[in-house]
Amino acid sequence: MSEITVLLCRCFGEIDQTISFATVREKLDKDSNISSSICVDSLCIGRDIDAVISQIRESGVKKVLIGACSGLARGDQAVQNLMDRGIARADIHLVDLREGCAWIHRDNPDGASQKALNLIDMGLVFLKNKDESDDVSVTMNPDVMVIGAGPAGLAAALSLGRFGITVHLLERSSTPGGMLKLITRSYPKDDATTPRLEQYLDQIEKSSFVRFYPRSKISSIKGYMGNFKVRFSSGEEEQSITPGAIIIASGAMVFLPNGLFRYGELGNVISQMELETRFKKGNVTVKNAVFIQCVGARCKDRPYCSTICCPSSIKNAIRIREDNPDTNVFILHRDVMTPGNVLEGYYIKALSRGVQFIRFAEDNPPVIKGEKIIEAVEVYDAITGHTRTIESDLVVLSTPLIPNHDNQHLAEMLDLQLDRYGFFREIYPMHPLETRMDGVFICGSARWPVSSGQAITQGEAAAMKAASVVLKGEVRAFTFSRVPGLKFGHARVTPDSCTGCGNCMAVCPFDAIRLQRIDGKYAYVSRVNKMRCKACGNCVSVCPNGTMQMPEHNYLSVCKMIEKAF
Amino acid sequence: MMSRNDEHNEFLIVGGGVAGITAALDLAETGRDVQLVDTAAFLGGQVAKLDKIYPTDHCAFCPLWTDIKKVRDHPRITVHTSSTLQNISEKDGQYTIVINKVHPVIDESLCIYCRRCLQECSAGAVRPLWEHASPPSFFIDTSICTNCGDCVDICPTGAIDLNRTAVEIVLTVSDIIWATGFNEVDLTPLPEFGIGTHPDIMTSLEFEEWTAEAGRNEGSIIRKSNGNKPQNIAFIQCAGARDQRMLPYCSAVCCMHALKQAQWVKRREPNVVCCIFYTDLRTVGRDYYEYAIRQLEGMGVHLIRGRPGLIYALPDGDGIAVTYENTMTQTREIARFDMVVLNGNLRPSQAQTVEGARGPSLDSEGFVDTTRDDLSRFAGGFTLEPADIAESVIQGSSAAIRVATKTAYKR
Repeated sequence: MSEITVLLCRCFGEIDQTISFATVREKLDKDSNISSSICVDSLCIGRDIDAVISQIRESGVKKVLIGACSGLARGDQAVQNLMDRGIARADIHLVDLREGCAWIHRDNPDGASQKALNLIDMGLVFLKNKDESDDVSVTMNPDVMVIGAGPAGLAAALSLGRFGITVHLLERSSTPGGMLKLITRSYPKDDATTPRLEQYLDQIEKSSFVRFYPRSKISSIKGYMGNFKVRFSSGEEEQSITPGAIIIASGAMVFLPNGLFRYGELGNVISQMELETRFKKGNVTVKNAVFIQCVGARCKDRPYCSTICCPSSIKNAIRIREDNPDTNVFILHRDVMTPGNVLEGYYIKALSRGVQFIRFAEDNPPVIKGEKIIEAVEVYDAITGHTRTIESDLVVLSTPLIPNHDNQHLAEMLDLQLDRYGFFREIYPMHPLETRMDGVFICGSARWPVSSGQAITQGEAAAMKAASVVLKGEVRAFTFSRVPGLKFGHARVTPDSCTGCGNCMAVCPFDAIRLQRIDGKYAYVSRVNKMRCKACGNCVSVCPNGTMQMPEHNYLSVCKMIEKAF
Repeated sequence: MMSRNDEHNEFLIVGGGVAGITAALDLAETGRDVQLVDTAAFLGGQVAKLDKIYPTDHCAFCPLWTDIKKVRDHPRITVHTSSTLQNISEKDGQYTIVINKVHPVIDESLCIYCRRCLQECSAGAVRPLWEHASPPSFFIDTSICTNCGDCVDICPTGAIDLNRTAVEIVLTVSDIIWATGFNEVDLTPLPEFGIGTHPDIMTSLEFEEWTAEAGRNEGSIIRKSNGNKPQNIAFIQCAGARDQRMLPYCSAVCCMHALKQAQWVKRREPNVVCCIFYTDLRTVGRDYYEYAIRQLEGMGVHLIRGRPGLIYALPDGDGIAVTYENTMTQTREIARFDMVVLNGNLRPSQAQTVEGARGPSLDSEGFVDTTRDDLSRFAGGFTLEPADIAESVIQGSSAAIRVATKTAYKR
């Protein structure tokens, strides 16, 4: 029975000046699978298509094989043109006859014609045997959950509230604010944090869309984009919500420099955060203050720059100098990390306020002198080549942000990736707030150490991403694709032959496969979540008996194709 | 829901780089109509011109084209390439914008990339639109074209029309997002960098193009002057930047950019000596510092702290002399290099607007000042502050949500 129409694109001579379409069509006409072969000038430029479509319709044949150029050239356009006119994508198969055949075999037309025939033959058996994945649709729940009520989380929640989206804002402590609560001023504008924080709290209180849950602890997160199921406790109360998207804004912790630069041994050797606490209590009056940068950062244990420590030291150095111009302030650094226009201006401002910067080398760090109290800091100035002894009564150790302890727990619940330090990892620099899991977004210092200003920007950006998820309404699983167009397919398991070995579950990078107990038996069968499946095919390659298949590329069609090739 | 009212509003995004296309996609995905204007013939901005991106060392094109294709296919986004802003006027909270759109001589939607025009053109005016354009197509450089019409006759699809001229398009939008990116500053006012005195002294973007895998040299590291393999290459950081005479700010992306370029030189030609002359090695993003360590220790890239005082072509016309003080050893030195790459001369761009027309308010350094007036309130990417790809994308999304929820802000 003939069931396939072959469309051959001449590409205005680009293909048929090398490949003899007469020879090809002669052979094709003898094939009983083919109802007809149609030759057109071009399939990507829509002039001839309507005539072709009516011809296909009249013949009553469903499946179409296209012999044209590569999909990356204009082949995809040809496929799209057919789809626009009502032919299902699953019934179309594209064979590359231009880039992969005609153009590279210009000097051997006979061979090219033979290769074209082989390619078409392979395409025919493929099209004949391939199957079609089932599609399901899901309605996006209209709520968003934001984890963490620091600057990033607050910005995300308020932005979503302005969109008219209900936000569940979870916070582990009893009040919102995060690290903004610990500091009194934020760089680079040196504005006080308290009014800003109060403004945020006021907006949250007034917003009818933001629900704040203090003292929250998440116990489980299940589900997928559009339909998460979250159980958590807020205080004594057990809660359960079903958000459509999740924003992680859980922040980071400050590294405590125990044992470094005699911290803990000498009274006035303090960390940057302790200096912030002193500012909270009132003015800090000292004679000579020394800031040491990169304490516990850019070293073997933590080989990263934590972004915020240089500007933070500059902020506090300027403040000490402004409060008391007689104080000498030194910043001992390895590189002054103030990239960009705003921060570079901040650095210049510190220089103009008389803050002194001294560079030291990583292998020759400063030494704090003194028995019971700090007497001096001895540092080898790498620029002048002289060792300087700075009399000092306050040493501030600028330490990096480190990831939260519970990042691991959260990452396991959501099947997210952490980077080697323990911060949440994005999928790619071009998509910096998106994670491997659709519908889960990261922002603020949970992703990578950032200033409060950057955290707010990231919170807003993550809110935008979450909004574009939950405002979608009803969506088909096929559209959950990160690349343009539709998803390739969904893995499919045949329950009767599945042994429940769990190989597929182990290799699935998207946590799309679960083993399900068969009722009344001590046996399991795997189940694919079509919302999460990205059609990577990992499960297919580890399935011991070929039960797991990608219908669009199943074993039968691929093996038949290989058989035809040789 | 407050958004009801907004849904009829159209937004204009000026600049089709990563910040602009991200903002456009975000707005379109939440049901807003977007007009996207760019002066270039294709979307992607500066990232499209990069060979590789840090810190992944992947080619820049792969993640970019998927987003470009989404933008081009999105029913809510109208793309105007080869277009410049002529005029902006404001009335009743709406902006009326006149753009000048130059239609390309070759219609992209009809070009089948058969190369017949390329072979026929005797003037050499036909060139591929962009190495990575998908679908691929050609364009005709009208400054070289002799209007002979041979290509029109040979084009099988009738894609070429030499009479195609610019048209004026009037748009009415409620808000504008500025994402105009950056461009390179001419370094000739700073003669100590020797730009223009020797073909092997080039800026980093020129070097990127010169050594690109998809470019004319197919990734080989050769000198511009004689085509030979260089013995050593100097990467000069902060050229024109952090310099009160030209750009007082730090361009933020150049340290990592130089490390990336040095690494790709090393990967392709392990024997070429690469020296980076830096002031502060600003590696603040995820994996950036480890990337730097990897290049320095693993790849053998040399790092010299110092800003060269003078770079000049040697009298024999072959090498380039770099005089500098190594500030970590306090020694003054002079070294001979085969190639010199200048990094840092990046300035926020206003190239999307014709001269004299109203544009966004700028601060003294040329960045968009979002606090000044309503027209300049929304911006993202390098035009707002020096930003790399990830930061530009974040700022694009952030500007998009601010513009989308603007009415709620006012309440």
